[in-house]
Amino acid sequence: MRRTSRGGGETAPPRQNGVPGGKGDGRAAERGDAAAGGDDDEAGCSPADMQDEDNDPARRREIRSKYRDLINSVQQNREDMLSPTNNKLTDVLEEANKLFAEVRQAREAALDAQLLVLATDLGKEKASQLHAEGSAFDPSAFAEHLLSFMGLNRLEDEDEEEEGGGASGGYLPQDAWQRVANRAQRCFRTAPSFHYMMGSFLAELPPPRQRVERQRKVPGREAKRIMPTQLRRMEESHQEATEKEVERILGYLQDYFNEDPTSPISYYEFVIDPTSFSRSVENIFHTSFLVRDGVARMYLDHDKLPCIAPVEEGEVEAGGTSSRQQCVISISPKSWKEIIEVFSISEPLIHPPSTQHTE
Amino acid sequence: MSQRKRASNTQSSQNKGSQRWEAVLGDDEDDPSFTQPSTSQVQKGLDRLTPAQVDLKTAEVVQFIFVKDQKKFPIRRADIVKHVVKEYRNIYPEIIKRVGCVFETVFGLKLVEIDSKNHVYILINKLEQGVTASLVFPSNPKTGLLFVILSIVFMKGGVVKESMVWNTLKKLRVDQGERHEIFGDVKKVVTDEFVRQRYLEYVRIPHTEPLEFEFRWGQRADMEVSKVKLLEFIGQVRHCRLPG
Repeated sequence: MRRTSRGGGETAPPRQNGVPGGKGDGRAAERGDAAAGGDDDEAGCSPADMQDEDNDPARRREIRSKYRDLINSVQQNREDMLSPTNNKLTDVLEEANKLFAEVRQAREAALDAQLLVLATDLGKEKASQLHAEGSAFDPSAFAEHLLSFMGLNRLEDEDEEEEGGGASGGYLPQDAWQRVANRAQRCFRTAPSFHYMMGSFLAELPPPRQRVERQRKVPGREAKRIMPTQLRRMEESHQEATEKEVERILGYLQDYFNEDPTSPISYYEFVIDPTSFSRSVENIFHTSFLVRDGVARMYLDHDKLPCIAPVEEGEVEAGGTSSRQQCVISISPKSWKEIIEVFSISEPLIHPPSTQHTE
Repeated sequence: MSQRKRASNTQSSQNKGSQRWEAVLGDDEDDPSFTQPSTSQVQKGLDRLTPAQVDLKTAEVVQFIFVKDQKKFPIRRADIVKHVVKEYRNIYPEIIKRVGCVFETVFGLKLVEIDSKNHVYILINKLEQGVTASLVFPSNPKTGLLFVILSIVFMKGGVVKESMVWNTLKKLRVDQGERHEIFGDVKKVVTDEFVRQRYLEYVRIPHTEPLEFEFRWGQRADMEVSKVKLLEFIGQVRHCRLPG
């Protein structure tokens, strides 16, 4: 903040630095000296000339430039100035003193203040250095001793005198720092770190895994669930469809029979569907159930052609316990076509169901 | 909500202002402006609670501090209030007093407020560490590194330029520019971790061009480290024989 003490016009600098009085006196003294010296340019100048000198921009610039040089030299040679072996800082201050005598304007005074701040910082450091010298603690020596403590195995090798900037050569054991830490810990009154005695597990990992697993499981489970239901549905539909079909066919059979009880129903005409071979096969399949259950009977007429007729209600039980007779019916598309031709079957007796079940 | 009830029930006009303020903040999650309740408020708050409730809250705070202390970073009062004390904040002084007692009498530890402005606590040990402790519980190697730095600062009068520390560490094969086998990013450990833990202070030296820093002891070091023991160890090290 001292640095930014800029104001308009000429203001007096904020502190004394040994130069007698304010600028007025300084100037007078200077002039006096000059007059006494007799070899100065300013000897015998009038007040008017003095005024010009104050405002002479070239002179002002010169002063400021000199100040800046001083500041730079302090900053650049900081280490040098800190050294207790020389008095360079004092020299700088004396230079500043001389310059200050010619300070007239705020700008120069500000630079002077800046220089002073730098110088005092350096002074403070130099003073603290003095204190340090007294304690005679050499960190480098301390480091060397510490390496011994750590168990450094210094190799007796003539070639390895100085390694890497003056550091000791040798092999430092793995537990070197651990050794120091264990011994050093005794100097600390640290509160022990809290840990569960039997350890604990990190609860963080499982959730991501669960999420992944769940994602995998879900499609699996649903897929499995879908399958059984589908199958079941199919089975049911199959069974239901079969039963329904069988009953439906029984219905047809009875209807046709009742239309004309005396006229036998040709088996082929009954089951064959001229429009569809697979339907014909299904009809045969379903009809076989009727025969198995004893609600329909098949017989050969006088032309040895198979006929089918529903069993009379009274005969049902008798038909069930009668001697089992089996026959296997096979049909191929070729025979199917032949039958259609021979029997001139134009339309199916068993009409296909209105809704098609899933296959 | 119970806070508002309390505010409406209160008779004293003197505390009304701050209590109303507290009632407003009662349901607030973030409460940076936690105002320390007065003793009369604390007493009133205690009257409304059973001893069991207060004990439970005390125990919760103790556990919270233990876990927070694991990394040795200071614990903020704001965190304690926000995460544990919550609606019991009107009796916070009583709770923290009891917490301190528990730490001292049960665990032999001390809860210290190292910053009365920002209200930040650390936990230190009241008891000295024995010789055999290091055999049973091996310490963190970082303690060794910290010891070296603290020793240098101490022996140099309490302040040391960072260059001196780095130069000395280099002799111990610890380079701030290289990744260390044990310490990793040394510069980070020293200037960030140790500083956050309040073992060290890493302060800018003013008016330096380029930027330079100096090391000082931190508040935690001031409280935890026995200077006598430190000197003893330094002396012990000095007696280690060097070849030749």
